[in-house]
Amino acid sequence: MDRMLLILSTFAFGGAVVQALVSLKAGTWKESRWHWVPMLIGLLFQTAFLYLRGQDHGRCPLTNLFEVFIFIGWAIVLLYFLVGTTYRLSLLGVFTAPMIALLQALALVSSLDQSVPRARTAPNAWLEMHAAISLIAYAAFAMACVTGIMYLVQERLLKRHRIHGLFYQLPPIHELGKAIQRLTITGSLLLSVGLAASIPLHLPISNPKLVFAWTVWFMYLGVNLIIWRRMLSARQTAWLAVVSFIVPLVSVGIVTRA
Amino acid sequence: MSSGPRIVCLGINYRTTPVELRERLAFPEATLPDANRQVQSLPAFSESVIVSTCNRVEIYAAHENERAHHQLIDYLVKHFQLAPDQAEALVCYKLDDDEAARHLFRVVSGLDSMVLGETEIFGQVKQAYKTALESGTTSRLLNKLVQRAFSVGKLVREKTAIQRGSTSVGSVAVDLAGKIFDLKTCRVMLIGAGEMARTCAQSLLSRGAQSIIVSNRSHDRALELAAEFKGTAMKFDEWEHALHEVDIVISSTSAPHFVVKPELVQKVMRQRRGHPLFLIDIAVPRDIDPAVNDLEDVYVYDIDALSAIAEDGRRERERQLALCEQLIEEQLVKFGITTPP
Repeated sequence: MDRMLLILSTFAFGGAVVQALVSLKAGTWKESRWHWVPMLIGLLFQTAFLYLRGQDHGRCPLTNLFEVFIFIGWAIVLLYFLVGTTYRLSLLGVFTAPMIALLQALALVSSLDQSVPRARTAPNAWLEMHAAISLIAYAAFAMACVTGIMYLVQERLLKRHRIHGLFYQLPPIHELGKAIQRLTITGSLLLSVGLAASIPLHLPISNPKLVFAWTVWFMYLGVNLIIWRRMLSARQTAWLAVVSFIVPLVSVGIVTRA
Repeated sequence: MSSGPRIVCLGINYRTTPVELRERLAFPEATLPDANRQVQSLPAFSESVIVSTCNRVEIYAAHENERAHHQLIDYLVKHFQLAPDQAEALVCYKLDDDEAARHLFRVVSGLDSMVLGETEIFGQVKQAYKTALESGTTSRLLNKLVQRAFSVGKLVREKTAIQRGSTSVGSVAVDLAGKIFDLKTCRVMLIGAGEMARTCAQSLLSRGAQSIIVSNRSHDRALELAAEFKGTAMKFDEWEHALHEVDIVISSTSAPHFVVKPELVQKVMRQRRGHPLFLIDIAVPRDIDPAVNDLEDVYVYDIDALSAIAEDGRRERERQLALCEQLIEEQLVKFGITTPP
């Protein structure tokens, strides 16, 4: 049942991609609340999936890499609704939806969903909070990465004088630049809260999960400083947001397998 | 629409009538309520909506008058006190029922506009209808027709790309600037005071650009233009020092060599600390070294690039025209009109 919800969610995100591509190709894409409908449907199915898994585990559904991917996907879509609305970046969904659809499709066909039956233990609130908030922070970094890609595409179109189709649909680069900055700050703040929640757990400093989480935290602290001090050009900053995401992405894989 | 009251549209526009006569026949906004009532009170006329813009004057009316066209022309001649030679020169289009509806649908959709697909006309017709509505000169027939026209106009905008792109150099410059900056915080610099540069600056200011600096070899001309735009004039040998403070530069000097070189812009960009710079080169020969476009966060567009984009925009809109016409025909059928154009 829960996997069926995820399949439906993946189809909804796939539908969002198809809808966007068709209207972009026909040149009729416009900022509209209707573009949010398939994304919203996808989010609802994701939420239902996570709820059922949570009920099943008796805790936050982050017991294997499969669930971690779905949770990050859920947080990305949630952030899309927050950021997309704020910045009138409904096209951000076009760039976000394929990422989520791909992430979920790969998770579904892989053998990642192998939770070892465990005795139901009383959930540790700090651990759950640490894991959930840290993953939402990673989702914010993922959104910064997607926004960075949009910036780079728009910047290239402007530089090369390719003023048609996608150019008119993409948001202005100043809005994308602001969105990158706010998303990296949001991600860093969330990760700070997530790390603070790990303090009562008294984990050893050498715990690989903590090492990776602190590495990501320090790296994004540096990214935020670079953006704040305007040490790079706007284009390089967009590249930084894109490339930086490799670190949390890799760390999630390693940490979840550890 | 063949029995009972009929609809007539009598009008002049930029195609039929030169501006000298169009301005003579324009209804000032304040007189529109009375004018609507005057048309409504013509023999066997029951409803009236007058659309009066700089490019067209059109009277839409419901009537049961065999000589409706003549009545309306006589009304215009009398209302504007046209001399016999002016009345003689008056060339109006006279459209009845289905043709009047088709025409209104096309007008509201921007297909009959000088700039194909422009949207201002939608608002202008809406305002004209509101005035007529408040004057009590509309009823069942025109209410139904005009409201349907608004739905069609919206549909055309939503379902086609008729409004996509820019069709003039000025609007291309504004569109590009809008994709780089928040125009409301933009500062503009004119280097040289050519006519096209002036037009571009005017477009940018009308879309909210914050301030303007004008620098020209003739300082008097710079002062004159700065006064016109409520901006600041700057001596020609000083503009380089202010370059880092502005976001958009429009260059149109008659210098035979490059005026804006990569070394200068590189220095300026260091001071701008990641803020982009948009350079518009309208001069021939060019003022801005094309190598400047290779610098980070700098966007250079010369007159050929801007013209090519405007031309693309016009072509794109023309390509959309057939789709728009098809949509309008479908809507006319839904409205009960089956007469082909």
